[in-house]
Amino acid sequence: MTSNDQVRRIEVDAGPRRFARGWHCLGLARDLADGKPHQINAFGQKLVVFSGEDGQLNVLDAYCRHMGGDLSQGEVKGNEIACPFHDWRWGGDGRCKQIPYARRVPLRARTAAWPTMVQDGMVFVWNDPEGNPPPADVTIPRIPQVEDDRWTDWIWYETVIEGANCREIVDNVVDMAHFFYIHYSFPTYFKNVFEGTSAYQYMNGDGREDVRPPRPSKSNPAVLGTTSVAAYHGPSFMIDEVTYHYEDLDVDTILINCHYPVDENSFVLQYGIIVEKKDGISDEEADLMATKTGAFIKYGFEQDVAIWKNKARIDNPLLCEEDGPVYQLRRWYQQFYVDAADVSAEMTDRFEFEIDTTRPNEAWRAEVEQNLAARRS
Amino acid sequence: MNAVRPDVRLEAAPMQPVACTTCEAEVLARKSSWDQSTLQWDATALERCIERRTTPARSERPNRNAFAGCAALRASIREAAVRGELDVQSDDPLRTNPEAIHD
Ligand code: FES
Ligand SMILES: [Fe+2]
Repeated sequence: MTSNDQVRRIEVDAGPRRFARGWHCLGLARDLADGKPHQINAFGQKLVVFSGEDGQLNVLDAYCRHMGGDLSQGEVKGNEIACPFHDWRWGGDGRCKQIPYARRVPLRARTAAWPTMVQDGMVFVWNDPEGNPPPADVTIPRIPQVEDDRWTDWIWYETVIEGANCREIVDNVVDMAHFFYIHYSFPTYFKNVFEGTSAYQYMNGDGREDVRPPRPSKSNPAVLGTTSVAAYHGPSFMIDEVTYHYEDLDVDTILINCHYPVDENSFVLQYGIIVEKKDGISDEEADLMATKTGAFIKYGFEQDVAIWKNKARIDNPLLCEEDGPVYQLRRWYQQFYVDAADVSAEMTDRFEFEIDTTRPNEAWRAEVEQNLAARRS
Repeated sequence: MNAVRPDVRLEAAPMQPVACTTCEAEVLARKSSWDQSTLQWDATALERCIERRTTPARSERPNRNAFAGCAALRASIREAAVRGELDVQSDDPLRTNPEAIHD
């Protein structure tokens, strides 16, 4: 065995005991605004999401302040959520509006209501451990393509990740090499920019001949390359604009990769896709493309999950010069875990990091060649 | 929570100051090779940057309205490296036209 003083130790700082400040997407409005209560386990709590007759989406603490009934098992009545235990009615503002069997509602009959926002078909909730409302300048960019007929409707997936803190998924934004090893892509250009509450990733990639269909066809064309601009807007909501380059056309897609923490050691991962219906692409073809892209991304996330479930949390990663800015990303990410007054300039100041892909690309080309040779023999 | 740790790669080779030859914005930079660069801005530098202030046409795309980077600063950093004022960690020689291989 190697003597102890030669071994690099993995260091683990105490994990955050709070959940990130920011807008978190809970899912699609078309799913959540169906007049039924929805239970969402998030931020270490149980929440209820419901929309009443007024169509307004509301998020409340799920536990009724009367005797602790679970409002997410209740029923929407009018614009209120009715508790299944004794039928107390709670409004979207968190106030008890009515107790059918009582002469009047007692004082301080108020539960926690969470600021919500519906934008581009998605429902967002604002989490702030300090309890402040969302500042006007902390926003999620609009995606006008969602409303555009030339784009498909959302295809949306949701999966619960147990046994991992959501920082693992955020780390991906700087992790160029894992895109080759985990996601079968071939990054040829990779740059990160962090500024304010956003973290960008500019990535171009070549198609991988070793993962392409051996005989590309019209229904299964070969991807020659991809151009992608992805960005986290806040701690948990990423928009990724990916253009897939095929032999005779380019296909534009917009992907969402977002999550909300269930607790310190699990999170719900959601991702969505819309695809542009270019001239010459029928609605059916575009939908098929969206479905296929979704399946590919789903497969990619499954690969990530297998890694996350088994890996160690590590606060002192040992990096080579061809790795991305993991430490600086975590410095940026830290801003969402401290009080607003403690956000420092170093967390939000603009930072840029461009990887030299020369050496990685040499190694990967050789590996692709090897895989192709193995496939031929 | 704990203070954020510094990048382990900076232990052997820290960031160095570089000024933009166009706007004189001072940033911290580091190059591990001719084609890698790390760039730390602060508020003063960002205010100085001329390209940053010239706003391009608004894009319909959600991620395309961000400032991708300053070309003048990028050139200044390369020049500083060529002049030997900014260290380049790898000992690979400077290729005569390093931009070309990415096309
Ligand atoms: S516990 Fe909710 S109404 Fe009694
Ligand atoms: Fe990944």
